[in-house]
Amino acid sequence: MQFFGGSEISPSPPAPTAAGNNAHMMYVFNRNGVCLLYREWNRPLWTLNAQQDHKLMFGLLFSLKSLTAKMDPTSAEKGNLGVPQLPGQGCSFHGFRTNTYKLSFMETPSGIKIILVTHPKTGDLRESLKYIYNLYVEYVVKNPLYTPGSPVRSDLFNTTLDQYVRGIG
Amino acid sequence: MAREVSESCVDSLLTEMVSSYCNRFYANKPELAARRIEAIGYQVGHQLSERYTMERPGFSDHLEAIKFICKDLWSELFKKQIDNLKTNRRGTFVLQDNKFRWLAHVSIDPSIDGSSNEDNSGTSTENKAAQAMSMHLYFPCGIIRGALSNLGITCAVSADISNLPACSFVVRIKG
Amino acid sequence: MAPVGPRSGEAIFASVERVNAELFTLTYGAIVRQLLTDLEEVEEVNKQLDQMGYNIGIRLIDEFLAKSNVSRCVDFKETAEVIAKVGFKMFLGVTASVTNWDAEGTCCNIVLEDNPLVDFVELPDTCQGLYYCNILSGVIRGALEMVSMKTEVTWVRDMLRGDDVFELQVKLLKQVPEEYPYKDDE
Repeated sequence: MQFFGGSEISPSPPAPTAAGNNAHMMYVFNRNGVCLLYREWNRPLWTLNAQQDHKLMFGLLFSLKSLTAKMDPTSAEKGNLGVPQLPGQGCSFHGFRTNTYKLSFMETPSGIKIILVTHPKTGDLRESLKYIYNLYVEYVVKNPLYTPGSPVRSDLFNTTLDQYVRGIG
Repeated sequence: MAREVSESCVDSLLTEMVSSYCNRFYANKPELAARRIEAIGYQVGHQLSERYTMERPGFSDHLEAIKFICKDLWSELFKKQIDNLKTNRRGTFVLQDNKFRWLAHVSIDPSIDGSSNEDNSGTSTENKAAQAMSMHLYFPCGIIRGALSNLGITCAVSADISNLPACSFVVRIKG
Repeated sequence: MAPVGPRSGEAIFASVERVNAELFTLTYGAIVRQLLTDLEEVEEVNKQLDQMGYNIGIRLIDEFLAKSNVSRCVDFKETAEVIAKVGFKMFLGVTASVTNWDAEGTCCNIVLEDNPLVDFVELPDTCQGLYYCNILSGVIRGALEMVSMKTEVTWVRDMLRGDDVFELQVKLLKQVPEEYPYKDDE
């Protein structure tokens, strides 16, 4: 695994030729670890059931957050590994890249976590994640029939999201 | 210029009002919840109509009053007019808003059911969604009934959402 | 796409969809009146208004964060300021100010001189004890809870009770860090 700023990575899948199929999947979690939304566009390999998969992803992020904060050379105050943090406290990571995929991550102060897994050559997606958060607000939070904290079932959100993600380069 | 607030203030107040009445105050009595929500709309419609007609002459007939709802009241509430008005000329009017704002954010995907109850077929999820959605229509129906009542017209108002995002309000004038 | 960095509440208010405040004010008034009829006890109405506000706050926080681009709410002092200056402006179109900080920085007052909830409202004598704007304190409590801050919000001054401003005391009880939510791996 390589964090951003590493040298060229290989072997890697062929560079995307056109926008439209860079995204593999997306997760949205709330602060309680509930997977509010899972959306998949291109994921040939499934090794776990959905619940295990979501749990593993959440656990990965939780550990990485804790590790990155622990290794922060600029901060004098840091808790022990595994000590709970407030969302947004200390340093936070926003993604990592392997030779086969890239994971982009955003966490809001309200504990909403958005994870987008894409082709390793995709650029900085922080603005895209913010945009997706705005879509989540417009189509999920503002839906009068939506109960906060429950899994999202919204055609409107899915359609808009699919359309937006297709354009991510 | 008249004072304004963010649209989210009204939207979230309405969402919460409907949810309080349906899920907390009258959790197992949807008819009672519906009646209360309609009553709140009625009060609002009555007061708005009072304010907006203060400086104008009375309406000569039912059609004039209905046109006031379609144009003036709707513009104040939604910054647009009713898109289509039909009448059978025997006291029934159908007011259609092609993109009704208060339902603009409503969405439900019947294909996934989180509760995954075996008896819960797609249709019953859809029914539940339709029922929940209908609860949000009592407030605007109440507004129309209240506004017309303030103009001296007694009527019954219902809503039809078979063509979302369009919404039709059916006004049946009594007497 | 929203620009990076904090924006004033003014700019956000100018950019969001807005509606006639009369509708909002009258609707809120009609809800309070209906609650008084249905629940009978003024105390119970206060409680339910607070609960409704809380439920609104836990939803509204995400819109606030998304539109204001605020990326961290760790410091209570900073958070209270941003809620008063940006939050009130962006939703209600009015500015609130923060005063009366205690020495520890865990308790302050939010002062509201202009409040669209009470335009054309006069409380009848039968409503003694009613906190008409109790929904607001609930909204603040709910929103802060979603950013990990457990608070107690109480009214200090109320124009409908003859004071010259609206004033809420916001007291931080504790900050709740994010725990690993699952039980031991099975």
